[in-house]
Amino acid sequence: MSTSDPWPGTATSGRPEPRRSLLVCAVVGAAVMAAVDEIVFHQLLHWHHFYDRSTSGVALLSDGLLHTAELLALVAGLFLFADLRRRRALAPGHAWSGVFLGAGAFQVFDGIVDHKVLRVHQVRYGVDVTPYDWAWNTAGLLLLLAGSVLWVRARAAGARRPS
Amino acid sequence: MGARPRRRGAAAVVTAGPVAAPLVLACVLAAVGYAVGAARLRRRGDAWPWRRDCAVVAGCAAVVWGLAGPVPGGPFTAHAGRHLLVAMAGPALLAAGRPLTLVLRLLPPGAPRRGLLRVAHSPAAGWLLFPPVAAAVDLGGLWLLYRTDLWAAAHRDPLAGGLLELHMLLAGLVLAMAVCRLDPVRGRCGLPLRAVTLLAAGAAHAVLAKSLYVAGPPGTAFAAADLRAGARLMYYGGDAVEVFLALVLAVQWYAAAGRRRARRAASVAVGAR
Repeated sequence: MSTSDPWPGTATSGRPEPRRSLLVCAVVGAAVMAAVDEIVFHQLLHWHHFYDRSTSGVALLSDGLLHTAELLALVAGLFLFADLRRRRALAPGHAWSGVFLGAGAFQVFDGIVDHKVLRVHQVRYGVDVTPYDWAWNTAGLLLLLAGSVLWVRARAAGARRPS
Repeated sequence: MGARPRRRGAAAVVTAGPVAAPLVLACVLAAVGYAVGAARLRRRGDAWPWRRDCAVVAGCAAVVWGLAGPVPGGPFTAHAGRHLLVAMAGPALLAAGRPLTLVLRLLPPGAPRRGLLRVAHSPAAGWLLFPPVAAAVDLGGLWLLYRTDLWAAAHRDPLAGGLLELHMLLAGLVLAMAVCRLDPVRGRCGLPLRAVTLLAAGAAHAVLAKSLYVAGPPGTAFAAADLRAGARLMYYGGDAVEVFLALVLAVQWYAAAGRRRARRAASVAVGAR
């Protein structure tokens, strides 16, 4: 930690805020997962289609809202994270569990609601999509599982070290 | 050089029409005027960060490029690129430079300054700069342009096309000023409402862009590849401008939160004494 404080007086007691750390990092995790989806599957692999011919009006609207919300969440999450760091209130264990929970929640939501319920687009076209759907949603569930394990461990560590 | 005027003729001249030349001149004058004004402020000792000069000059350059410069791609893609420069990127950068604050600091006390303040604090300006209204005006106009016969009409009559371009520029500027809230205008507006407005405006823009991917404006027949490239440019270009505006809001929040906490810490320290 550098000794020069850009915001003198803002570093309060430095007591960690586990709940806020988890929530803020969940927002960042979800937004980063969304960015990965956009960059890897839309732009690099060209697996996802920009527009699926079966896309309905509701799906377009939800896609537009979700896409814009992802961008705003990425910016907001990073600044909220910077604020936690500035106040020395970041609880690292909870923060990491938040990243995985957020990323997993986005992945599962995208895999089930966007791909299957609203049918905005599919994982890949021109092939049997079933294994891709299974891989997609299993990856999301694994991320959620990892986040949950980290959360339980962070809580246990917090209980051992009462403030 | 020989082939260029013919290639960009359709997209450049028809959309901006007779309004383009005066608008380009106004932009150049505005950029020079801003730089001269900011230099005067600095000479007399005001703190006026250079990034504001950069934002305004870049904003004016974006508008000039969109009105008169060469833009690659087919007719619809070129239109989307011009629209992005004139109605989105340019206005967002201009609003980030706090033009009204600069003018108010430069004007000496007197009738012009009072008049400008009266306009900025008038109920009409307050309504227009209420974020949901500004978003409805900007995005509503966009939906009318792409989903009614307005497009065809504006491309038949150069003057109508030029006025439309001017409207898009001004509506974009009003929306950017309403969301960023950097200048002293009537009415305070909290961060949540401004953020939700940005979200709604961004979503409306994204939905419109995706719908243009498969169906162009009524009465037009663009090649499918051109339409798709233009819709993609509109979608991802809109993202870039949204992220820029979101960064402006986030920096505002971060600085304000720091100040609040510093004040609280100071008052606690005073109380403890």
